[in-house]
Amino acid sequence: MGKFIVRRVFLLLLTMILVSMAVFVITEASPGNVARNILGAFVTPEQEASFLAQLGLDKPVWVRYLYWLVGSDWQASKKINRPLKQILTEQGFVEWWAVREDGRLVRWKLSGDDLIAEVRQEDGTKTTEKDNDRWTTDEQGVSIFWGLDNDNHAVKWEKGTDRRVWTFIMGSGWKETSGGPVEYIPLKKGFIRGDPGISLRTGRPVGNSLYVRLRNTLVLAGIAFVIVMPLALVLGLLAGLKEGSLRDRVLSVGGMMFSVIPEFATGIFLILIVAVWWGLVPGATVFGEEAPWSRPDMLILPVLTLTLIELGYVLRITRASMVEVMRSPYIRTAHLKGLPYWRIVIKHAVRNALMAPITVIMLHVNWLMGGVVIVEVVFGYPGLGKYLLDSALYKDINALEAGAMILVMVAVGTQLFADILYTFLNPRIRYT
Amino acid sequence: MKKDEKVHPAVHELKEDLDKGKLSRREFLRYATLLGMSAAAAGQMIGVTWPRKVFAANIQRGGILKVSQQVQKIDHPARYSWLMPSNSMRMVFEYMTLTGPDNVTHPYLCESWSASEDLKTWTWNVRKGVKFNNGDPFTADDCIFTIQQWLNQDVKSSLLGLVGAYLDPTGIEKVNDHQFKLHLKRPEISLPEDFFQYTAQVLNHRTFEGDMKKAPHGTGPFTLETYEEGEICVVKRRKDYWQKGYDGKPLPYIDEIRFIDMGGELSPQIAALKSAEIDLVDASDNPGPQIMKAVQNDKHINVLPVATGTTRVLRMRVDMKPWSDNRVRMALKLCQNREKILALAYQGEGLQGQDVHVYPKHPEYCKKPVPAYQPDKAKKLLAEAGYADGIDVNIAVGSEWTDVVRYAEVLKQDAAPAGIRINIQTMPTSQYWEKWTEVDLGVTPWTHRPLGTQILKLGYTADDQGAPVAWNETRWVDKEFLQLLGEASGTLDVEKRRKIFCKIEEIQMNRGPIGIAYWMNTWMCANKRLKNIEAHPNLIFLFNEAWLEA
Repeated sequence: MGKFIVRRVFLLLLTMILVSMAVFVITEASPGNVARNILGAFVTPEQEASFLAQLGLDKPVWVRYLYWLVGSDWQASKKINRPLKQILTEQGFVEWWAVREDGRLVRWKLSGDDLIAEVRQEDGTKTTEKDNDRWTTDEQGVSIFWGLDNDNHAVKWEKGTDRRVWTFIMGSGWKETSGGPVEYIPLKKGFIRGDPGISLRTGRPVGNSLYVRLRNTLVLAGIAFVIVMPLALVLGLLAGLKEGSLRDRVLSVGGMMFSVIPEFATGIFLILIVAVWWGLVPGATVFGEEAPWSRPDMLILPVLTLTLIELGYVLRITRASMVEVMRSPYIRTAHLKGLPYWRIVIKHAVRNALMAPITVIMLHVNWLMGGVVIVEVVFGYPGLGKYLLDSALYKDINALEAGAMILVMVAVGTQLFADILYTFLNPRIRYT
Repeated sequence: MKKDEKVHPAVHELKEDLDKGKLSRREFLRYATLLGMSAAAAGQMIGVTWPRKVFAANIQRGGILKVSQQVQKIDHPARYSWLMPSNSMRMVFEYMTLTGPDNVTHPYLCESWSASEDLKTWTWNVRKGVKFNNGDPFTADDCIFTIQQWLNQDVKSSLLGLVGAYLDPTGIEKVNDHQFKLHLKRPEISLPEDFFQYTAQVLNHRTFEGDMKKAPHGTGPFTLETYEEGEICVVKRRKDYWQKGYDGKPLPYIDEIRFIDMGGELSPQIAALKSAEIDLVDASDNPGPQIMKAVQNDKHINVLPVATGTTRVLRMRVDMKPWSDNRVRMALKLCQNREKILALAYQGEGLQGQDVHVYPKHPEYCKKPVPAYQPDKAKKLLAEAGYADGIDVNIAVGSEWTDVVRYAEVLKQDAAPAGIRINIQTMPTSQYWEKWTEVDLGVTPWTHRPLGTQILKLGYTADDQGAPVAWNETRWVDKEFLQLLGEASGTLDVEKRRKIFCKIEEIQMNRGPIGIAYWMNTWMCANKRLKNIEAHPNLIFLFNEAWLEA
């Protein structure tokens, strides 16, 4: 068993790598332009180019994948030739700084032709000083400098090039200067070091948003799971006990009825009837900063919708499995042996009948986590599925990758759990 | 009117025009205020009494307003690409001027302005006694810094194209702490309106370093508490705001506004509005009739309508076949059955268009007949252009704009008798925006702007080298049109200006690159407990004096 689990964990890592590559490639291949998606249609070509460069999206796909996986700070650190440090400010912003020779944190900005160093003091205040000695000359004779700007990029600045721009310098007014930032490396630690990066769409660390969304989804999926699965199993078993009985017919047809109505239809009907017409519970979820459990009344309709959809499906699988088991020779033997009916059902039939539903249920955990996007959209529920949908629409690669990784973990994890559960249901199953 | 208030000489001309009946009162007010006269003084001059603010004692202070809005990524106000973030940040940052729901521009952070006779030198007086929410005094330096940000190439603001067209960075002159002058490259009258563009929020020159979230120091009535993109934005009342309420204490009346991100889907937002979980939906970037239709019979929701210049432009690339031939363009334009399109696409909630990007509420609008639906004439034109057997064309439409899709469907049906076989290519809206300037035939949404000249300059002009400007999606560059437009932008006399516009409209109708079938109304739908609000054609939020009934 131990070996089996180790092998599964290994498989999980492999799946994650493959999926992350696939997501990267698919996002890359899909049509669409991130800058236009995010900034809107009215961006100028210059805005677009600068946006792409600042997010590092002008780099080749394998470089971006590498940065995403293992981070970019090590490479930036080499270029800047100073160690880099990530800090969290009191206001809650993540900032990257370079460590200067004297141990102080420093970053730079260009003001006209002057390089200005911003030095962070111990109390968090900043002082500025001119720092023009750091310019170096490259092969073409252009003055260049690799440094850090105040927006978490490693930046290559140039001066003395053909590119002339008007810039405003505080204190001295407008001045025609040359050069400016020419290359950006957005700084991140990389996924395997626990940093999924910044969302391109919102500019917020993916981790922060994902945490909230994952929590919300776990609440919704958890409640739905706890209600629907035992209910569906019990009803399915009851229906399967005696095929063709009235109880069987009512339960099967009833379950089927709700599972064939698409969830958006169920959702909207429930909103119209329960929320708008009767006015019993709110028809949409508005949490703001609050957690879902602070407004349980808002969860009623989404959970009910999920329950109706899921119930029929799992119920019918369980029923079919139960019917098959009840027809099998060993149950007949048990009957002939004269065992009491309920003992046959509970001790002998149920365990075997549960094998198929368990597989389906475990697959549905994954669906409840990431696939209930339609229910989330109908109710405006801020869950993981909707977050992934928005991210996909905007080609927000960092958010998509992080979400995909979570879903892979859930999928592989629930399968592992199901496999282990089988051994309890049927001791003949062994893993080595 | 104060005796010493300096009045631009043109105002007297305007008054004469008004007396002779050449100008409506509305237009007089708009132009007089544009030239720096206060709305009250201008109103007094022509005997208009402004409705007095209701000093009703029933105004209540306090309460939390909940708005559903997509909380987008922001850093620099001059770089907003949507109206929505400007609406939440409008509570924190303010503008130098204010264009009200009536399209009249009023003084705001600048308490007055005046233009030289040649309209090339503008003097702006900065309001005294205004403080940023971090305690810094508001001075001319802040206005100058803000304008310089727009003109800075590195900021990449859309205002660079608008204001940069007539103002160079070197043309800004600081007179003293409360006055600055702008020396323009060419005469221009739309400065006050340009300064109320949604991207023109005034920044604090002492603290702003490129990210407004890190230094949310504005002069507005609220302070920024939380800004979590994709989740929520919270602003709270500040206690030392410069505007006073009816009770002599500083505005605003509302304690806190929460902008909650419920995603872009409308149905949950409508459901939340109906069940009073939120008070208002920010529809500024999606101003269709869906919300109004859903809540118009709801007893506790106020539906406030307003006519706008927002429209759907049937645009044809004149540098691509077959649209390079004006006869083909004209043929397609003649296939628009405007009444039917307006009824089916926008449920009749708007005005019919005339293939000219100027709408009847623009001051310079010159009345033109609405072209009739003439498929036979279109067929003839096509034959003349060499397409006797008809023509197959693809039209690109964004699928999420349902009215655009219906517009295209009606057009397809009505163009068939003329021999134009339209194939509708629907695509997600985001994809349409990616190639809106590239497709040869498509329907592009254009938003409301208060002046006709503003729109025509954005969409139908060329740069100094003669190449089409960035938003000239049709690549239509017409010499006579450009010359007339330049003339119109420097002409103050409304009658003369409208005469020029008669010619401009004629040109765009006869050889222009666009069809405009309808102008859209819009609505602000708010819970009735939100009082003292008015719908603005851009659906922007002006909530300084709004209050909540407990």
